[in-house]
Amino acid sequence: MSSRPSSRHGFAGTTALVGIGATEFSKSSGRSELRLATEAVAAALDDAGLQPEDVDGLVTFSADTNPEIELARSLGMGELTFFSRIHYGGGAACATVQQAAMAVHSGVADVVVCYRAFNERSGARFGAGVQGRPPLPTAESSQFSWYAPQGLLTPASWVAMFAQRYLHVTGATTEDFGRVAVADREHAATNPAAWFYGQPITLEEHQSSRWIVEPLRLLDCCQETDGGQALVVTGLDRARHLRQPAVVIRAAAQGSGDQQDMMTSYYRDDLTGLPEMEVVARQLWATSGLGPEDVQAGILYDHFTPFVLYQLEELGFCGRGEAKEFVRDGHLHLGGRLPTNTHGGQLGEAYLHGMNGIAEGVRLVRGTSVNQVPGTDHVVVTAGTGVPTSGLVLGAER
Amino acid sequence: MSAGTRPSPAADPALAERLGVFEGRPAGPDLEAADEVNQAMIRHWVEATGDENPVYVDTGAARRAGFAGIVAPATMLQAWTMRGYRRTKEIEQWRARGRSRAGDVTDVTDITDAAGAPDDSPLDELFGLLDEAGFTSVVATDCQQEYLRPLVLGDRLRARSTIEAVSPEKRTALGAGHFVTTLTEFSDATGATVATMRFRILRFRPGPVGAREEQRPLRPRPAITPDTAFFFEGARHGQLLIQRCASCGRLRHPPAPSCRWCRSLEWDTVASSGRATLYSFVVVHHPQVPAFDYPLVIGLVELEEGTRLVADLVGVAPDKVTIGMPVLVDMVSYDDELTLPVLRPVPDEDAR
Amino acid sequence: MSVTRATRLHDDVSVGEQLPELAVPLTRTLIVAGAIASRDYQDVHHDPELARERGSEDVFMNILTTNGWVGRFVTDWTGPGGVVEQVSIRLGAPNYPGDTMVLSGSVTEVGDPAARRDGRGDVTLSVRGSNSRGDHVTGTVRVALPRRGAELRPLPGGR
Repeated sequence: MSSRPSSRHGFAGTTALVGIGATEFSKSSGRSELRLATEAVAAALDDAGLQPEDVDGLVTFSADTNPEIELARSLGMGELTFFSRIHYGGGAACATVQQAAMAVHSGVADVVVCYRAFNERSGARFGAGVQGRPPLPTAESSQFSWYAPQGLLTPASWVAMFAQRYLHVTGATTEDFGRVAVADREHAATNPAAWFYGQPITLEEHQSSRWIVEPLRLLDCCQETDGGQALVVTGLDRARHLRQPAVVIRAAAQGSGDQQDMMTSYYRDDLTGLPEMEVVARQLWATSGLGPEDVQAGILYDHFTPFVLYQLEELGFCGRGEAKEFVRDGHLHLGGRLPTNTHGGQLGEAYLHGMNGIAEGVRLVRGTSVNQVPGTDHVVVTAGTGVPTSGLVLGAER
Repeated sequence: MSAGTRPSPAADPALAERLGVFEGRPAGPDLEAADEVNQAMIRHWVEATGDENPVYVDTGAARRAGFAGIVAPATMLQAWTMRGYRRTKEIEQWRARGRSRAGDVTDVTDITDAAGAPDDSPLDELFGLLDEAGFTSVVATDCQQEYLRPLVLGDRLRARSTIEAVSPEKRTALGAGHFVTTLTEFSDATGATVATMRFRILRFRPGPVGAREEQRPLRPRPAITPDTAFFFEGARHGQLLIQRCASCGRLRHPPAPSCRWCRSLEWDTVASSGRATLYSFVVVHHPQVPAFDYPLVIGLVELEEGTRLVADLVGVAPDKVTIGMPVLVDMVSYDDELTLPVLRPVPDEDAR
Repeated sequence: MSVTRATRLHDDVSVGEQLPELAVPLTRTLIVAGAIASRDYQDVHHDPELARERGSEDVFMNILTTNGWVGRFVTDWTGPGGVVEQVSIRLGAPNYPGDTMVLSGSVTEVGDPAARRDGRGDVTLSVRGSNSRGDHVTGTVRVALPRRGAELRPLPGGR
């Protein structure tokens, strides 16, 4: 597959993120998922200076339980001309923005809200895995037949299979996984919105945390969260007249790799890469005309620490197998080469299926992050790893 | 027994396959009854079962009942060709020596090759394999006998047995084990068949008896589609099947309706040799689901045929697992519906 | 039980007929006697310590002896002229010392006498032997019973 020229991504550079909004991040919201979605969307519209009736498009995850029409009814959005859902769990996050931008650019909608809301901690926990999933004879559930009866039931266990191989091939250690967690938690410690606000961890604490699925420890695994996050997308021309400075969508891309599975792409020649993220990265750089050297901060999907190392390599921030040196040199921290997950990531702030990371990308470009990286022109944001995924390059309008 | 007559251990494939090759083979040499059908043994039998039927002890009564003379109780059939005490003791000593090689028994210096070796028979060889794999206990489970004529005093029997079936590993209330089914034909001095028997035993690994195993929740069920059914069906028959493109011959796993290389929709399957190399693995500690034992080691292997497979890795401590280690695929039945391949480390002597 | 009792005739048997129950108190000696009479010297049938080592609770009755009891149970009902022609059993709960096995059975099929030419007719029985743990043995037995007034062809003898 060849890289597509940027001209083919007409939405890139002509659309913008203009509002972000979230509920509090908790372990038990005490409210319905639809209410969380409603609150988050209302907050994002308020941030943008828009009204619900301005919205004519909605995008969410196929995993979300809140139908577009219920949300529209709840907030009095009136008519909608565009609604869409993206599949593959957290891999959908950045793709919601891509869909919104495509809808706006093509003219089918003017203001599109992307949202994700759930009681993931107090309700149905993803971390519990697929054990209760009834075996419907569909292609999708049949895929779990190669893992669930064997006891490979949880996202942590699916990622651990990659991670063990990565350690073996690259010579990285579980301490290198720990360095990702330490950086995330350091950033969360100064973010009042983060669940782990004021609770940094040391590498020693990481190493002494209990095994979940070897080689992953408790502190390699993201938390589970109740909450909602929404993002507002519109055209750049309209964005210039709204409340916040426009955050331009420089690139947005989806990617599925060769021999792609849902979390268990174990049949490729090599398990030390994420080819789907390489598909995304190639498009992001080609579309934006930028490269890793042009990006000052990263929001890299961190449901489990090992895949942050993979992403550093796929996105070109370091060479193959060199992420261990990159993290050992402290480049994920403020002052490093690529301050990463400055909100605390999903390990430190909240697990909102990557949507809270996009909001942090917006804050970084606006210059309003609690852990602001000075001189941020461009931020790269990624979505769920181990699944068909997506990514964004966000930039200031300068 | 000379070791040279056995297949080289290094050439042994996975246990299931090693056991499977015994199917259809003779169990061993014919067993000749040590004694003809006689009144003394019949008397011991009818006393032990409290049987007062006169046809077993009284010629006149037997004739009046339509028999040619005193008959043996029909269900006494097997007793005539049983090995008896001396042979049983010899074989147990041989088994003990076999286990000593595996380190379970040490003081067996009084047993030599010359004394007490069993017949170099396929059935003994099969039992030896099961012993080595830890299936040291035995219980008979089924017996079907058909008697073509009553046995009378003076009959001398000969029994010829064939190994009909060796099951994949089954989880039973007694513990995990393999069922071994033999077919036996009993003939008289003229060579005429007088009775036939199908006999099934369970060779099992003694485990915790009772409620826990029986009430344990079942493992998650696979979702079976027409594209994948062959795999689980094959597993139930003790085979690890790999989907093969019928057009270009390439193998693929997980199964798919079409060949990714030549796009053919036609496919068949091949049975894996079961030899594999560990490509990656995990040790699951949390969360713990009642259907599984923890820590649970799950491997991703590269089969000798080239495809990969995820399966539980058993028989090795988690801290002894290393990427690149050779493993053998075995089949384990967890319940009536679910049989899955599992991985076992290759025994040291086989690891060459 | 009388040794002079008559043989039950095929004509008198009907499907559903129950066999009289037979209770067998399972002593250790009875279990060992059965094992020895069947020349079965597997330790689990006579050595309690080794039986426990092998995952059993105690010594238990061997399958040959169970077969013997099933055969006796059926021929007690048929009388001396009943010819046992087929026995098919499956074992379940072990027969341990101290328990009691109760054998019960019923007629499941009465064969067409015209199918045989030796003056006998087939009867198929369902047999069950239960102890305090459940079914020790379940199975079927086929016997041939003489027909009323038919000329019995002598059963073949040995050599």
